[in-house]
Amino acid sequence: MFDELKSILTKVDADYADIRHETKKETRITFNGKDLTEIGNNTTDGYVLRVIDHGGYASIAFTDPARHEQAINTVLQNARLMSSAAKQPVIFKKSPVIKDRYSPELREDPRDISIEEKLQLTRKYNDIIMKNEKIATTNVGYIEQARQKTFLTTEGTEIQEELVTTRISGLITSNDGKLIQNVRVAAGGSNGFGILRDREDDFEKRAGIAVDLLNAQPIEGGCYRAIVNQSLGGVFTHEAFGHFSEADIIENNRSMREKMKIGAKLGSELVSITDDPTLAGKLGHYRYDDEGVAAKRTELLKQGVLVGHLHSRRTAASFDEPLNGHCVAEDYRYAPIIRMGTIFMEPGKNSFEELLRMLGDGYYLIDAKGGQTSGENFTFGAQYGYMVRNGKIGAMVRDINISGNLYSTLSNISAIADDLKFSEVGGCGKGQANIRSCYGTPHLLINNLIIGGK
Amino acid sequence: MNGLMDLAIRKCDGAEIFSIEQNENSIRFEDAKIKYLQSTMQSGLALRLTKNGKIGFAYTKNLRSNEELIQNALSTLKGGVDAVFEFPRTESVPALNSYDPSIEQMNNAMMVDECKRIYQFMENKITGQLNITAGTTVTNIRVGNSCGTDLASRSSNYYITIMILYPGSGTGIHQSLDLKNFKKVDDSFMNELADLYSKGRKEIKTTGGRMKVLFLPDAMYTLIWRLQSATSGESLYNKQSPLADSIGKKIFDDKLTITNNPLDDNHPGARAFDDEGVACHELPIIDKGELKNYYYDLYYAAKMQAKPSGHGFKAARWGGDRISMKPVPTLGHLWIKPGNTEFWKIVQSMDRGIIVCGALGAHSGNIPNGDFSIGLSPGLYVEKGEIVGRIKDAMIAGNIYSVMNRVAAIENKNHVAYTGYYPAVLFEDINVAAKS
Repeated sequence: MFDELKSILTKVDADYADIRHETKKETRITFNGKDLTEIGNNTTDGYVLRVIDHGGYASIAFTDPARHEQAINTVLQNARLMSSAAKQPVIFKKSPVIKDRYSPELREDPRDISIEEKLQLTRKYNDIIMKNEKIATTNVGYIEQARQKTFLTTEGTEIQEELVTTRISGLITSNDGKLIQNVRVAAGGSNGFGILRDREDDFEKRAGIAVDLLNAQPIEGGCYRAIVNQSLGGVFTHEAFGHFSEADIIENNRSMREKMKIGAKLGSELVSITDDPTLAGKLGHYRYDDEGVAAKRTELLKQGVLVGHLHSRRTAASFDEPLNGHCVAEDYRYAPIIRMGTIFMEPGKNSFEELLRMLGDGYYLIDAKGGQTSGENFTFGAQYGYMVRNGKIGAMVRDINISGNLYSTLSNISAIADDLKFSEVGGCGKGQANIRSCYGTPHLLINNLIIGGK
Repeated sequence: MNGLMDLAIRKCDGAEIFSIEQNENSIRFEDAKIKYLQSTMQSGLALRLTKNGKIGFAYTKNLRSNEELIQNALSTLKGGVDAVFEFPRTESVPALNSYDPSIEQMNNAMMVDECKRIYQFMENKITGQLNITAGTTVTNIRVGNSCGTDLASRSSNYYITIMILYPGSGTGIHQSLDLKNFKKVDDSFMNELADLYSKGRKEIKTTGGRMKVLFLPDAMYTLIWRLQSATSGESLYNKQSPLADSIGKKIFDDKLTITNNPLDDNHPGARAFDDEGVACHELPIIDKGELKNYYYDLYYAAKMQAKPSGHGFKAARWGGDRISMKPVPTLGHLWIKPGNTEFWKIVQSMDRGIIVCGALGAHSGNIPNGDFSIGLSPGLYVEKGEIVGRIKDAMIAGNIYSVMNRVAAIENKNHVAYTGYYPAVLFEDINVAAKS
């Protein structure tokens, strides 16, 4: 593959060019209720070519290698148009030339396991859920993606890296004839098939929660103190803060860029946030990003003060900040954009029980159900929660959506527990899906959360 | 495609080939700076085979070997997915005007020039930052099967979205055009956008409570998603729909009529057949508040012993690679019948309320049950019939089977919106939670 890509790159008459080829092998098995509705292995591939010419930057994604000359012509025309239209030339921050091949260590390579065994395991977990008579249906599936990436630049970088992701996840729906409720279930990671084994208790517990929700009370809308668990805290960290640490989000937004200046005091001194794609074994692990830059542990917020941004080569140059290897594509259909790898909040010193006592009266909100940001404002859902009175967990509540402002919420974090936990499956949708987006926090105690209620 | 079909039908009982070729260009300006200009040239081919009552599926982006793709699909038969339907024989479908050949004469420089013109026009009208996204897409789709169906569609699309940001946020007022070919944005379009933006410049804190809420067209998907979920054959089969056995029942206010019409080629994306080769037709979903129809693909129509309605599309809420998807029941061409009130007269009718310009977190509520709870992105605050600013730190929540029974007014024209063509709709008595 290196030779084929080199032969394409030599035809590109530009100041800089890089090309990435990816082969993506995907296995999918899906159950809807008791019905098996999908099973299969497939392999697809494609190319992404990026160029800089006279300060103009453009990219093209194409699937048919026979059309590579058309792709080269198109991307060069676009780059020259960019060059004439742009006020500032695009410059890539200088990055060391790398020649490397990397495959992460896997605890059981899923490609060595038969599709029959994968079907058997998925069916077993689905059956555990479906045995509960109040479960109306499931949408539970096994998804495995093995991406083989080959990346070359005209600067001399040559990298091959494998990314292997597995998960058994989905939605469990309960229905008592009057009310429909659902919860998500997920097991997975990027460190092999082993993480999917022996998870029977997790699937059974999630089915139980879906059924319990049928008897839960809707939460009353209002402004509350609440403890959020690791999943919900992780979504807050990712959605509300993490996206604003991505330099391409703030680079052209005058007011946000001012607010997100290095050294800005953004939150409580208790809060420190880091992104680290080098954490092997975590879902978000990779060694090189899709610009051939080595991933680096990057401190973003230290004791409430902003100390870093996530960068591509282009934004690192325009911000004049260090490279940290966070420019990643979903697959061969896309040019890379800045993404989080494994973002997490550093643990505090309190136990969860201490947080409950500090809360007194309020809510304990559990597990993320999607989130979205718009500027400094965010909204995300919780799958379920409990009323807390005098520090004791009480009745279950449902229909929970939280809204807030990034800066005030960061300041309103009044205690952080010592129980940091990372997500096993991801699904960030910043233009492209990133199923390897990983996040984590400990339990957090937050004041003044707006809850939409019903 | 013909060689693949000939080879496939020698090895199985039935075969279906779906192919797609798509060329796209997209451009984005942020704060008058060009951010990116990117292109894609993608193709793909998907094969479904039936044999001995089972169905197999395979796909590829580059067809290097017919034999390999067929073997790949055959190998999935042993998984045991039941073939509960037969591929349809669709001999002819209406010819639609979905492709404007003049899009081939368009180039990316025209989009750059148009974006620059918009910046010049808006320069003295607004203080907020302006972002523009524009692009073109040409799509060729072909669906054939062993029953003799062989249908092709070609479509062109030019789109542009203009967003004016409020200071200190990523939220703002936006509006889109969605056409079959390039057209300059009208002055009136830009003036209306600038006017709405200016009225919401002041940031306001208010108490919550129950009040009127006007959903702009681009926020209506919050409610429509829940209706799509409830009327899908998939939800009915999976007992996830609160609207089971509800055909003919009045479920919404009688001011609401909602129709799916893939044949309407006034807009881009019209389709005469779905991704399974079933002929499309206009399908009323809600008529004057009454539930008229559910919608199906081949699989769930068979499961529900219903007739396929031509709604089997390779689609997902969060995008994805169409070639790799299996068809699912999809309402992709929705339309809400306009009312008879001008937009500003609706605003004037609001004593106290909120205009939802964009929804934040519409996906995170209990969609099957019809519940929603969204942040406002942004929400304009109305007092005594006038927009007095934009509301800070608030959410609205409700259930569509309650809220959509309290329609106060519907705007007299439709606009391009996410998931369809909708007017603005005013609802009474919606719960607002706010940090006062």
